[in-house]
Amino acid sequence: MSTERRTLDAHMPGDYRPTAVMPDVKVVKIGGQSILDRGRAALFPILDEIVQARKLGIQVVLLAGGGTRARHIYSIASELEMPTGVVATLGKYIPMQNARMLQMLLAKHGGIYMLPDDFEKLPLYLQMGCIPVMSGMPPFGYWEKREEGSRIPPHRTDAGVFLSAEFLGSPRAIFIKDEDGLYTDDPKKNPDAKHIARITAKELQAQNLPDVVLERVVIEYLPRAQWCKELQIVNGLKPGQVLAALKGEDVGTIISA
Amino acid sequence: MSELVGGDGRTHINSRLMRESLQNRDVLSNTDSERDLQIFPDVSLVSIGGQSIFDRGKGAILPLVEELVEIKKDRNVKMVIGVGGGTRVCHTISIAVDLGLPVGGMAQLVGAMEELNAILLNTLLAPHGSMPMQRDHFWDLPLYFDAGITPIAISVPPYHFWEPPPDVGHLPMHGSDFGLFQLAEVLGMKQVIFVKDEDGLYDKDPKRHADAKKFDKITLAELMKKLPDDNILDPELFQAWKTAKNLKRIVIVNGLKRGELTRALRGEDVGTVIVKETA
Repeated sequence: MSTERRTLDAHMPGDYRPTAVMPDVKVVKIGGQSILDRGRAALFPILDEIVQARKLGIQVVLLAGGGTRARHIYSIASELEMPTGVVATLGKYIPMQNARMLQMLLAKHGGIYMLPDDFEKLPLYLQMGCIPVMSGMPPFGYWEKREEGSRIPPHRTDAGVFLSAEFLGSPRAIFIKDEDGLYTDDPKKNPDAKHIARITAKELQAQNLPDVVLERVVIEYLPRAQWCKELQIVNGLKPGQVLAALKGEDVGTIISA
Repeated sequence: MSELVGGDGRTHINSRLMRESLQNRDVLSNTDSERDLQIFPDVSLVSIGGQSIFDRGKGAILPLVEELVEIKKDRNVKMVIGVGGGTRVCHTISIAVDLGLPVGGMAQLVGAMEELNAILLNTLLAPHGSMPMQRDHFWDLPLYFDAGITPIAISVPPYHFWEPPPDVGHLPMHGSDFGLFQLAEVLGMKQVIFVKDEDGLYDKDPKRHADAKKFDKITLAELMKKLPDDNILDPELFQAWKTAKNLKRIVIVNGLKRGELTRALRGEDVGTVIVKETA
């Protein structure tokens, strides 16, 4: 397919720009460990703001993260030396549970559970005023590639959120977490740590940090994106932040292409 | 038994990864080891090319089917067949590009063209024992092998709408060659045999260059140093193979020459053999 692919690529129009499938949709991740594992205390106020946004006519699609149950199965599967593709397949089930939990809570406000690959039904759901909820895990499963020096699937729910936004042609993916985004140092340990409001993917990569706030593949893909050129991290524990982000305000940290 | 752990506003399950960031390199390296579990180490994956075999029609397909029927008489040979989509895939992509569909849209569409070849092949092989295999129904495989049924799978991986933005160009990076490689890798299979319309892998396209030289047997490391631009296999396959732990052998044989596939399935060095040496 390589020679074929090159032939096709050579015939691409130079100004090729894909169509934005549903550019007005806000693709929003609800963090697993950061939000869902905190239970109602963290989650209910966030859902209230999402429902408020939906009533304002803002189109929201929610994607659920995994959290501690994902870590638990990853840990056992790793001990058993399972291939990454098997670990990724195991990792599909927890975000699916979390999405179903969200749907039960949002049902009375139009929450509707969506299977992965069901983007084709989004226009209907959104025109009906629904809040579609799905798992954030990409469908790679057994086909997830192994990374050097790790058995954990590199594409998890952050990647699923970014790739969904990119396919839909949504310019900014929103990640609801339990912190304000990026700091110059760990704010829990260093009181002088400063909040970073905006940073580019390249600047972030240049810092070569041992730990990053989002999955590394997302930071790697961002500069190549055709549509989703911004990632916004907001603190769901602070009242008003989620609604502000859904209204398009620059709260939290924005990582740009 | 693990217990539930609270105290920081969250409810955790005690595990080695509890509270940890899965982006942290130290945490990640603790999940690693030198080996991956091998699930089906005595199974070969046979890839039948779309453009190279199916698009040639009856003249190429029927002799290959006859050979497969012969091979199937030896119940010790365990194989899964994967099929490519060929020129209909190229056409789909060419129309999709003209329409301005995004890369995830292209990736979602192309699998259907492979399904057609899976049905064609199954129609011919079914009287001798074959079945189209649903996507990831790998756990049915022991049953198929016991019953003498050869499963036929499509090749393209299910990245669908989530196909990542490609590093070069605008087309999906994860095509059929990569998809089949990954299937063999994750299941820990013995080898992948790509059945094409060339005698193997050459240093340049033998259809256009009379002086093209064939690689007989080469290690992945050597091949990566001089990976030909004109390559009948997708570069993404080789990239993924580098970090993979299981697959040790890929063979490329000429499906237009009777007997080549049989020999490859028996473990003989035919066509081009690419091996990954353990470090």
